[in-house]
Amino acid sequence: MSALVTFDHATLAYGRRVVLSDLTFQIPEGDFLGLVGPNGSGKTTILRAILGTLEPTAGTVTRRPELRFGYVPQRDQVDYNFPLRVLDVVLMGRYDRVGIGRRPKRDDRDRALAALDAVGIRELAMEPLTRLSGGQKQRTLIARALVGEPNMLVLDEPTTGMDLVSTTQILGLVRELHERSGLTVLMVSHALNEIANYVTRIALVQEGSFRIGAVDEIVNERTLSEVYGIPVEVDSFDGHRIVLARRGAAVVKPGERR
Amino acid sequence: MIEAILLFRDALYGALVIALVCSALGVYVVLRRIVFVGASLAQMSTLGIAISFWLAGVGVAGVITTRPVILSLLATLLGVVFFATGMRRARIPADARIGVAYVVAGALAILFIAKAAVGEAHDIFLQGNILGITRGDWLVLLGVSVPVLLVHVLFYKEFLFISFDQETARTLGYRVERWTLLLYLTIGLSIAFAMQFAGLMLVFDFLVLPAVTGLLLARGMGGVFAWAIGAGLAAAVIGFSLSVPFDLPTGPAIVTVSGALVILAWLLRRLRER
Repeated sequence: MSALVTFDHATLAYGRRVVLSDLTFQIPEGDFLGLVGPNGSGKTTILRAILGTLEPTAGTVTRRPELRFGYVPQRDQVDYNFPLRVLDVVLMGRYDRVGIGRRPKRDDRDRALAALDAVGIRELAMEPLTRLSGGQKQRTLIARALVGEPNMLVLDEPTTGMDLVSTTQILGLVRELHERSGLTVLMVSHALNEIANYVTRIALVQEGSFRIGAVDEIVNERTLSEVYGIPVEVDSFDGHRIVLARRGAAVVKPGERR
Repeated sequence: MIEAILLFRDALYGALVIALVCSALGVYVVLRRIVFVGASLAQMSTLGIAISFWLAGVGVAGVITTRPVILSLLATLLGVVFFATGMRRARIPADARIGVAYVVAGALAILFIAKAAVGEAHDIFLQGNILGITRGDWLVLLGVSVPVLLVHVLFYKEFLFISFDQETARTLGYRVERWTLLLYLTIGLSIAFAMQFAGLMLVFDFLVLPAVTGLLLARGMGGVFAWAIGAGLAAAVIGFSLSVPFDLPTGPAIVTVSGALVILAWLLRRLRER
């Protein structure tokens, strides 16, 4: 499959402060990639480079022409004081297609309703956004990302601040969207345990290091212990991977073999 | 009473135009949480007026002293560019920069006014001189306000999107900084012209209180704009009508009515939520 986004020895920096250097990887069409790392590790920097809002200072980041992102921001980036209905918010995903100075038409409205249907909250279309639960708000933002008919769905920390039920439902929904239509998905998260059981590939960012591969290649005791610098245990329960730090274990420096 | 009001009808029309444009734009000011950007822009506009008065006092002749709006507009537009484009890159927090601009502009305005030869200048820049509005003045106000409002009608969805969620707008190709600059320009333009007549307190009132009333009463964005404009116009008419026959200062009378409408709206909302 052809790549939607290609990093070729890319260095990402803010001014003189280099965050990550020499990144080389691709996001192929149909990928279901999790970008994982702790807060401040550079996930958002990579995300901005993928979206094209940050240019590399060296190397290249190329996007396939006409590539269209469906972006789901972190929930706290959206201002819920605005008295908007769910349908109004979803329609925003069509605004660039509608054109500057023009109003959405009936077709846009129908597509917005279909997107709400796809995420299972069509009946909430006329409800004020402020009245929704955290999970429903996230579904609204996913519907808004879908209504623009993207090639790649990009979700930034989609489960932050959610309870177990909502987290499971949102991650399940994203996997369903990927499986149903082969939609390329990039999910950014600090919670390895949460997304390791949903995505097919993982990119792990930690203190300037970057690794990417199939889930099994990344989510194993040796790799994670090297990356995190502490002994890590990867267990399996009922088909689900569980990543744990070994209790009372000494810290291992990155790159050091145990 | 009606004869007294009719005597100042041009002033009333002026107040209504200022109420209309500031109340509508105030919805963005409140929702974007840039209330103090509005206050700082008004203060910078005041500084422009103060410099104009001072220049007149030291004998500088010409259009910049006979038309204080020119320096007022210039100072406000400088503020607009400063707030709209400089905030993202600065290491200093945005609210601190707003605070610096507000207090320095305010202090400089007082210094220039203190040395201005125009005796009533101090009162004018604080309270405005809304009763002094002539037919020509309110027609100029209308000439500025109508294009500003048309820009807002035309680009409603763009202003809404970049205000609600600028990261997503950016990923969809919106040049968020340019749209923000345009939004701030319309706000700055309205403030600069309104400040000539309404004064700092009344302009700040129209930028904030009607929008708060709208947000308390409305369930959707359209409703917020409608209620905000309605509350602004009602405050202007009621405040004006009370101030003329009872010989009250017009600006504070309008502000007091605006405050009463906010309280009324809050009570109505509480009742509705029960």
